[in-house]
Amino acid sequence: MRHGRYPFIVGFLIVPVTIYVTFVIAPYLQAFYLAMTNWRGVSANPKFIGLDNFQRLLQDDIFWKAIRHHGVLLLVLPLVAIAIALVFAFLLNVGGGSRGGTLRGVWGSNFYRIVFFFPQVLAVVIIGVIFRRVYAPDESGLLNGLLGVFGIDPIPIMADRNIALFAIIAVLVWQAVGFYVVLFSAGMASVPKDIYEAAVLDGAGRASMFFRVTLPLLRDTLQVAWVYLGIAAFDAFAIVQVLSIEQGGPDGATTVLGMEIYRNAFSYSQMGYASAMGVALFFVTITFAALTLRVSRRETIEL
Amino acid sequence: MSVPPDSTSDLTRRTLLRRAAAAGLLATPAAGLLSACVGGGEDEPTDQAEGEKSATNPLGVDGKAPLEIYIFNGGLGTKYATDVHVPSYKKAFPDAEVKFNQAEEMATVLQPRFTSNEPPDMVNNAGSKLMDQGALVQAGQVQDLTELFNAPSLDIPGKTVKDTLVPGTIEQGSFNGKPYTLNYAFTTFGLWYSDKLFQTNGWTPPKTWSDFTALLDKAKAAGKTGYAYAGANAAYYQYLVILTTAAKIGGADVLKNIDNLEDGAWTAEPVKQAAQLWGEIGAKYMDKAHLGLQHTEVQLQQNQDKVVFYPSGSWLENEQTKDTPAGFNYAVVPVPSATASDKLPQTAIYAAAGEMYFVAAKGKNPRGGMEYLRHMLSKEGAKGFTQLTKVLTVVQGATEGLTISPGLTSSETMLKAAGSDYFAYRWDTWYKKMDDECRAATNELMFNGGDANKFVTRMQKVADEVKKDPSIEKFKR
Amino acid sequence: MARIDTPAPPRGDAPARRPGGPAQDQRREIGLLNGLAHISLAIWAIIILAPLLWMFLASFKTNTEMYLGNPFSLPSSFSLDSYVRAWNEAHVGRYFLNSLFVVGLATAGTMLFGSMAAYVLARYKFIGNRVIYYLFVSGLAFPVFLALVPLFLIVNNMGLLNTYTGLILVYIAYSLPFTVFFLTAFFKTLPNSVAEAAVMDGASHTRLFFQVMMPMARPALVSITIFNIMGQWNQYLLPVALMQGENAQEHWVLTQGIANISVQAGYEADWAAMFAAVVLSILPMIVVYAFFQRQIQAGLTAGAVK
Repeated sequence: MRHGRYPFIVGFLIVPVTIYVTFVIAPYLQAFYLAMTNWRGVSANPKFIGLDNFQRLLQDDIFWKAIRHHGVLLLVLPLVAIAIALVFAFLLNVGGGSRGGTLRGVWGSNFYRIVFFFPQVLAVVIIGVIFRRVYAPDESGLLNGLLGVFGIDPIPIMADRNIALFAIIAVLVWQAVGFYVVLFSAGMASVPKDIYEAAVLDGAGRASMFFRVTLPLLRDTLQVAWVYLGIAAFDAFAIVQVLSIEQGGPDGATTVLGMEIYRNAFSYSQMGYASAMGVALFFVTITFAALTLRVSRRETIEL
Repeated sequence: MSVPPDSTSDLTRRTLLRRAAAAGLLATPAAGLLSACVGGGEDEPTDQAEGEKSATNPLGVDGKAPLEIYIFNGGLGTKYATDVHVPSYKKAFPDAEVKFNQAEEMATVLQPRFTSNEPPDMVNNAGSKLMDQGALVQAGQVQDLTELFNAPSLDIPGKTVKDTLVPGTIEQGSFNGKPYTLNYAFTTFGLWYSDKLFQTNGWTPPKTWSDFTALLDKAKAAGKTGYAYAGANAAYYQYLVILTTAAKIGGADVLKNIDNLEDGAWTAEPVKQAAQLWGEIGAKYMDKAHLGLQHTEVQLQQNQDKVVFYPSGSWLENEQTKDTPAGFNYAVVPVPSATASDKLPQTAIYAAAGEMYFVAAKGKNPRGGMEYLRHMLSKEGAKGFTQLTKVLTVVQGATEGLTISPGLTSSETMLKAAGSDYFAYRWDTWYKKMDDECRAATNELMFNGGDANKFVTRMQKVADEVKKDPSIEKFKR
Repeated sequence: MARIDTPAPPRGDAPARRPGGPAQDQRREIGLLNGLAHISLAIWAIIILAPLLWMFLASFKTNTEMYLGNPFSLPSSFSLDSYVRAWNEAHVGRYFLNSLFVVGLATAGTMLFGSMAAYVLARYKFIGNRVIYYLFVSGLAFPVFLALVPLFLIVNNMGLLNTYTGLILVYIAYSLPFTVFFLTAFFKTLPNSVAEAAVMDGASHTRLFFQVMMPMARPALVSITIFNIMGQWNQYLLPVALMQGENAQEHWVLTQGIANISVQAGYEADWAAMFAAVVLSILPMIVVYAFFQRQIQAGLTAGAVK
């Protein structure tokens, strides 16, 4: 097995690493360098100013506001999306009880599985356009029209600073659940049937089956889901940009780091400062990922 | 060409060394690539096309050099360029290839081109994602247009280009006293309404503040929203109106002080008074739902007679063509007088040359770019533009012989009545950060309580921040 | 409770007694839970479908109907005008094919190169392994648009601006962090015994990878492929920045086309045409998903038997 090992390793790595370094790492390194300049994005010669941008960052209220919003997103988005997806995945796969000795999903589970996945195929641009109408602040909007049927006055959803961020999280959940249903379904299907059947024979109800059998066996999948959604919580830029009023408003109530980076880079032409924010975002995300993986690490390597 | 102080274009030994050090730090397999990128661009002037100057070619254009132009594809469309100005240029220089491009996101598309010193020759910098013009000027990317404005007009004999323009045009495109951009469209601002609605109800357009509120009361009684603007993306229509009132109360210098970032410019009494008056309108006559709507959505409501007054520029009529019911008849009035002791008359208006066009200083054919602007500024070019877009240009008298729509007629009447009493400010384009803050502060004022003090202190705070920020280039007028 | 000595007939609302025995009881519990399950699933299905159906209706409405009318009312007419406008003016068809082409090749490339790199990183010890791994993973954490300007310059220097080759390479590059991250984790979980057996049979490293490991990794490959297709299909910033120049519009991908209509709608407000374009662009995706749904599920669950 030693024979031809290094040529093989190099041969397999050379193309992906070259592509990746050329198109991703090289631009990013430049961004790291730019974070230490006062570059305005349109000149060819940035001026080096050391860590000034980072110092400014620490005193920037809107930066901390964005960080707080990421905190909220990180807390709410994965929890809600995973909880809903888990329940639905359970119902769709083993929720139908046992019939003829095998467990099955509830009636119509294929239909639900297809429908739930729909939002995944929509571009964020499209979702933004749709939900701008769903959340419209008068009765021509879907949600306020519905409230109107019950005699409730229209709520200016995206314009209310207490509601807007949660309205955006709701859209993210709306979009995400389908994918995680499929992901968890796959995880559940890979749990050997006889475990479930043994549990049924032991007289386990569905609730206890869910908590005692399904959840522990889905550990790895859950971890993956958590990382995906955590990273999504640090992004959220696109949806904020297309859906919020005043791009991150009202009055900064829905802003995220991506939005502020974008604003500084392209609207204020403060590329250097924007890059500094990007570097900050990079370290925050990396820290999150490292913590998640460390906390939930388990020996799965068989080598 | 001369560049503002703190120019980044002089490549000193120090920065070179620093960059080398940084590149060393970042040494990677891609180091070779790095050097070819940001910071690696050379500043040597590229070969720029130049031809013989003559009476028909006062700018010395090389008739064979290709010309690349970028037009923003938005409210005005791009037809005016492809159907009027490009053919005009090609007629004068049949051998020149004109590369026409259009884009929606100007900054995303063009910023990299400027960074790599390969800019297109002429750019229409507009739209919600326009490039920061101040930063471009600061970086020495923008051609000084003095030569263009001093050149003879293309088809108005005996006059230079400068002579044919509405007064104030060149100032509107100047940065620290030098003309860098051509602001081509001439826009007047006021409160828009449906003439038909007023006729049927026997209402007359208000001149004083008490007329105004009395009319808003009547509108309210008739079940309509008296006054509206779109908070979601068009709050600047409203702060323009607030500052118009401030200028009427205290004179146009109020706006000049704001532009020049004078201490206390925002907390000055006229601004506070104006904010107070408008805050009350917001609290009493507006619909909270409009905070969450976009401009086209509110404009649609006005077309359906649900909204009486709407603040906007003279592009409104064209923008709404498809949705305006027959006989709606757009009309516009100046913002009413605020007090009996106003410094400016009731007829005074905000009017400005807008829609920026500039020539890239480091492009391959800056002379061609300027020549293109000269074609835009010809009488025929301007007429063609107004015909296709229903928007006036800064070329005087170019609308002679055109049949004009009701809204445009009304704007022209308003402009005539204003005489020389029109004014504008520049801070919103000079300091984008203040623009953003003012949008948020305006929405807070108009929809959330109407606290004038809060509005002015908030704006003063951001103005002071901008003033203190060394990374932001300052401008004066 | 009444004092009756004779057994009461089983009644649904008698909680204290369990006359039907455990089996019947469980059936009732299932009935109740089934009801709840169906209700919750149906509600979620409505939440998903309502905005989409509403959008479909909106593509037939006039601006006035859309913004001022009752949101639940039907359009006054079902004329296909807006679809014709979307097709002719917005070139939805062409952009769709462009997207298909770019995403097809880019996803294939991503999966090939991604799994090659992930495999080596997961199963071979060599100097620099960790460095390369973390290099890939760190790419997950950086916002793409900060790289835009430098990226543009690099692509421009290579002469790949406004070419599919350039765009595809960039798509692959930006999909690699995610792909490598998850495939590495997956390749680590594959049992050693099979690999050892193959090596005993004299298989080369390359053959081992393509003929043994890849098939074993199928479930993971399928799910990452789906993820990449979706990510690349919805990519917007990269093509906007990189597909420009002469005739760039012919090379546009679908998201650019739609964003273009959306921007235009801000000025001329032809919302019906925009929604029509949206419907035209998502219908094929939905049909394809519905059609391949079983295969996708099967792929995802193929790892069941370990």
